[in-house]
Amino acid sequence: MLYILRRVAFYLAAFFVAVTLNFFIPRIMPGDPSARIIASFQGRLNEAQVEAIRASYGTTGSLWEQYIGYVGQVLRMDFGISTVQFPEPTSSLLFYGATWTLVLVGIAITFAFLIGTMMGIHAAWNRGGFFDSVFTPINVMLNAFTPAVVALLLFYAFSLQLQWFPLGRAHATGLSPSWDPQFIGNVLYHATLPVLSILIVSFGGWHLGMRNVMINLLNEDFVILARAKGLSDRRVRYRYVARNAILPQITSLALSVGFLLGGALVTEQVFNYPGLGKFTVTAIESRDYSFIQAQLLLLTMSVLVANFLSDIANVILDPRLRKG
Amino acid sequence: MKSIKQLALMTAGLATLALSMPAMAQDNRVVLTLHPIDSDALIENFNPNNPTGPQQFVRDFAYEPLWIDNIWNPDNDFPALATAYEIADDLMSITYNLREGVKWSDGEDFNADDVIFTFEYAKANQDYPMGIDVYVEDTDTGSVVSAEKIDDYTVKFNLKEPDALARFALGGIYPLPEHIWADIEDPKNYANAKPVGTGPWTEVQNFSRSSVELCRNETSRYNEENAIDCLRFLQLNGNEQIIAAMSAGEVDWLGTGLTDPEITFTPQSEFNNYWLPPGGDVNLQINTTKAPFNDLEFRKALSVAIDRDTIVEISTFGLTTHTRFPIGTGEAYATWINDEALEPYAWLMAYDPDKAMELLDAAGFVDADNDGWRNNPDGTPISFEINIPNGWTDWINSGQTISENLQDVGLNAVVRTMDQGAWNDKARTGDFDSYIMWTNGGPTPYNTYNPMFNPRNMEQGRVDYQAMHQMRLPEVEDALAAFRSTADRDAQMEQMTNIHLAVAENLPVIGLFANPTWYEYSTRNFEGWVTEENPYVRPVVFEGTRERVIHALSLKPISR
Repeated sequence: MLYILRRVAFYLAAFFVAVTLNFFIPRIMPGDPSARIIASFQGRLNEAQVEAIRASYGTTGSLWEQYIGYVGQVLRMDFGISTVQFPEPTSSLLFYGATWTLVLVGIAITFAFLIGTMMGIHAAWNRGGFFDSVFTPINVMLNAFTPAVVALLLFYAFSLQLQWFPLGRAHATGLSPSWDPQFIGNVLYHATLPVLSILIVSFGGWHLGMRNVMINLLNEDFVILARAKGLSDRRVRYRYVARNAILPQITSLALSVGFLLGGALVTEQVFNYPGLGKFTVTAIESRDYSFIQAQLLLLTMSVLVANFLSDIANVILDPRLRKG
Repeated sequence: MKSIKQLALMTAGLATLALSMPAMAQDNRVVLTLHPIDSDALIENFNPNNPTGPQQFVRDFAYEPLWIDNIWNPDNDFPALATAYEIADDLMSITYNLREGVKWSDGEDFNADDVIFTFEYAKANQDYPMGIDVYVEDTDTGSVVSAEKIDDYTVKFNLKEPDALARFALGGIYPLPEHIWADIEDPKNYANAKPVGTGPWTEVQNFSRSSVELCRNETSRYNEENAIDCLRFLQLNGNEQIIAAMSAGEVDWLGTGLTDPEITFTPQSEFNNYWLPPGGDVNLQINTTKAPFNDLEFRKALSVAIDRDTIVEISTFGLTTHTRFPIGTGEAYATWINDEALEPYAWLMAYDPDKAMELLDAAGFVDADNDGWRNNPDGTPISFEINIPNGWTDWINSGQTISENLQDVGLNAVVRTMDQGAWNDKARTGDFDSYIMWTNGGPTPYNTYNPMFNPRNMEQGRVDYQAMHQMRLPEVEDALAAFRSTADRDAQMEQMTNIHLAVAENLPVIGLFANPTWYEYSTRNFEGWVTEENPYVRPVVFEGTRERVIHALSLKPISR
């Protein structure tokens, strides 16, 4: 319990630091939100108009006053209005982007974790066997690919040339989001290539991680004892070895889930997928302070929450921590 | 092995599920899909004066201007909400006769009150720019002093100074319906979800974050000739995605940057077409408040040191065009150019590195400290940056060519790319070496030279992109004032020649090439497009081209 409390205290401190950094990071960058709006008029504004725009879209008050206002907003869960997608509330855009990012990256991480981990267990258990000697090197290689290359290859081959899959977007135009099977099917169809492009480069990591920890454990005394006791292969493999080997995997999974809401920038760009990564890049380019702040906050929160959950999972899976 | 199978099955499953879905409902509406702006998500905002997106959708199509100038064929222009205009002899006012019998899409009558309201509204809401250069007493800026109602269908605009060009700006006013907007207190934050306009397409339908349609206005006077039921706008971003969408038949009309179109664009679909007429010049804007750019001989050397053939043919993929004279506007206003007067300056546009070195040597720019680079005459080193935003490929290529050319003649110039926010911000400060920069355009070359030489655009902290050179040329300022204060074309021509000569003589900017005007269209669904053989209006899909509504109205569906 003490362990959990210590972690909670740490997370609260980290949260406060993050909130503060989120405020200052966008403001350290040169430029402000009004510059883009003024630039879009290509010099057709007179001085009075330029000043008026700077006053209403820019930022007023000293940095300290702005900071206090921002902290108040964060406490009220009010994230302001986006200057890029004007006058849409930032929270509605974040929600929209986050939904699609969860679909895209969520599916990809889930499958990558399950497939990679299962392959890792299999490869480690039959170390040096056919499966291990074929798939381990292949997965090492795939893991070294960048998502950009894979996404572009998939896009070129299956969207552009063969036209088996759509060119991009989250669903067909003209369909409005709902829970009916037609829409869900359409979303999955559109997500297939983007998901694959992330999946292909990421399951190798889970495979290798699982395999290596498993192999280390295979020679431990408790495994040898379990075997000597005559326990079934299956029981030793999953209950003794895999259960222990999965602990570091869970921690990494928590990290990837935490970073999930950062979006999958390259994939989203290639497939024109409306995820958070794409919104964030545009927001940074045009200094959309409220969006940058809110997105950083969301990212921080999700990393912290995911870590917290992994702490709890570790406590459940690893009895040694319960005493601590 | 099992997991691989699972994966394969799962993917196959997803694909079959999707393919077996019933095809989307077909309807008989004629829909033109056009792409005037890139976005990450569509926003339910149709505020005609909000520049970050909505005005690309509704201006010209839902909201009409008073007058549609036909920039390419000035004699064949299009009356819109006004049917005639008259410029007063003293050039101090312009009177518009408004079209009678026009109704707003909600059935209310359009009349002079709406136009007067629009002017007053623009005056009251300076942070909501409506394209009207309202005179502001406090700052003594702007030009339109007041709008007067003569009768229900006649409006007179009074000007601060005689201005023969004011009609171009005033014609571009998009009147708002008073009965709707009078109650809107904060117009810049108003999303205008149900636009009420007089244009051919005003009804918003099927809004989603990924697409929206603007459909036929039942009260529009264009309905008889208008073959298009709805305009569709898609959320799309990135040149590759957009080109692919046109090739797949999802978009009909684009203004997207192309590289190597004969390889990347036309072979993708038999219906893909493009035409890239030369547009405004792209210039090298150099900061003439700093050495060595404050030296005329140095600027001349810069101009002849640059290999424009390579830039046009290779760096910009052969899509840009040469310009003949060092006047900063290129061929965009060819009819305003006095060839004979400018001939003595043509050599400044020709690549001649030997001449460049000769000029530099003569002016004292020699390598004084033997570091391989030339120095200023006072011995200080020369090294400067050419600023370009990340990802603007053709400009980055051009910048690379320029820096190599300059290094060949002993000048230490390097390209510096930066993100757009930083690039925007740095421009304003006046503290930079050089930028590659577009030029503003408009109905006459005045629209290019005024922002380029207006001293107000050169103040530190508010330097305009067009005036980044920061060199005041009083003779140009005078000629611009004289140009504006006469409606006589010959007198204007004379003033324009004076401007051209002053620019060629002083080289405040170094002309590089004329940018292409981006225009791509698909003949899959529609015919009647503007082509090189039939250039009846400027074919640009973006807001700022009032003719685009005429273009859309000229299109007819192809029945297959």
